[in-house]
Amino acid sequence: MKKTMIGGALRRSAATLACLAAGALPAIAANPAAAANESLALKPGNEYLMVANYPNNLNVVDLASERVYKTCTLPDAFGPGTTQIAPDRRTAYILNNRFGTIYGIDLDSCKLTFRAEMSQGDNERAKSIASFTVSPDGKELYAVQNPTQINRDHYRVGEPRFAVYDTSAGLEAKPVRMFPAPRQANIMQAGDDGAVYLAGPNIYKVDVKTGAMTVALPIRDWQRPTHAPLDVLYIWPVQTPQRDFTLLYTTAKFQDDKQDMASAEYQYGFLNVNLKSGETEAREFGPLTEIYFTGLRSPKDRNIIYGLLHRLTKYDIAQQKLVQAAELDHTYYTLLTNQAGSRLYLTGTFNDISIHDADTLAKVGQVKLPGGDMSLGTGQVFVR
Amino acid sequence: MKHLKAINNKARLLDKAVGENRVEEVVAMSAIAGCAATVDPGWEVDAFGGVSSLCQPMESDLYGCADPCWWPAQVPDVMNTYPDWNKDATNSREDWRNLGSVFPGDKL
Repeated sequence: MKKTMIGGALRRSAATLACLAAGALPAIAANPAAAANESLALKPGNEYLMVANYPNNLNVVDLASERVYKTCTLPDAFGPGTTQIAPDRRTAYILNNRFGTIYGIDLDSCKLTFRAEMSQGDNERAKSIASFTVSPDGKELYAVQNPTQINRDHYRVGEPRFAVYDTSAGLEAKPVRMFPAPRQANIMQAGDDGAVYLAGPNIYKVDVKTGAMTVALPIRDWQRPTHAPLDVLYIWPVQTPQRDFTLLYTTAKFQDDKQDMASAEYQYGFLNVNLKSGETEAREFGPLTEIYFTGLRSPKDRNIIYGLLHRLTKYDIAQQKLVQAAELDHTYYTLLTNQAGSRLYLTGTFNDISIHDADTLAKVGQVKLPGGDMSLGTGQVFVR
Repeated sequence: MKHLKAINNKARLLDKAVGENRVEEVVAMSAIAGCAATVDPGWEVDAFGGVSSLCQPMESDLYGCADPCWWPAQVPDVMNTYPDWNKDATNSREDWRNLGSVFPGDKL
């Protein structure tokens, strides 16, 4: 296998230090969550953005008014704050408690309705690396768990498992089925046909009844003589309005069959599974000139893809061309869109959501969350 | 591998796998054993060999690295070992002065 230099370099950039902060700010105690609005019910037809943040909140932002509508205080500990919205748009599922527990929260009341510990035994420590989602009928929840047995004198790494939960199981949910899962399994989304698409060494299509897995899109196994192996970094399972499950990748296109990395052209690409149709797509969309943590296809125009990290950018996929870019106040991780595709919401890292016009990329608003950093957490936009 | 000498058991096992032409079977662990989600060196250089593509400001990236145990050499591991490291600094942009160093003796 040809090795690319860019692989390690990109991973090094995955979270990066610019410099020590120049300003000396006074230390301020963390803002307490605004818990007084916990009993506010969501309104049918309204569009909301939910996102978690430190110390351990789940915020619901009303997108029409661009204000925080309510803030639920969550149990146990924060991290990573990865969310999934249930198909009924009432229950938010969140991976938290240091990657160790998945909770179901009734968004109208902020009450805890579901709880599943990733660890299955007393001396087991299992973590899910943002690897969970809910079935299209809302009846099941899926998670990949990476167990380690914590013995007195040594740790023993276990085999990852694909666990299936009944979402009506309450606060002590146990798996109803378990299957072997590939190592390095990461984010997943459920297709309308009930299959789960699991991103790992490849994107696997999982039969949730039998655990059988087939390769829906190759990543590690995508061998092209014209291109270097892909490098993928993705830990943000965004549920998009158009039901696209999209991951970005980088690669290098060789000039000729000598496969010389020195003269290769570095490129960005996307892997896409349309969860409605099951259609898969993998292609380059532009030159690699900067790093993005998340990308999002426009709900309005499938030929447009946006990228986000230090800048917000827009690409013409067919032309493989960067067509627009906006400078940002700071780095953001996770890009979300409204259903209409007219607004982009920049989330993650600190505690402010930056709102941008999807056509011009101009900043048109900002929402400051009560509490601290969103960090790695993945928010979701949905209509009640 | 001819210029590298294995000096611990893991490296010897890797050497053995190379000798048996089984190196493709050697893949990274996905489990978080202790704390190391990656073996990357950290915040020294960006993908292009410079620093302009590093997160700005660095505080914006701090908990994105600490939460998932991404670079435990640079940031305490709040996933397993030092869960309370940032309890007095939930807003990293404003509270970063409350973050301290950790030492093995502090392990909970």
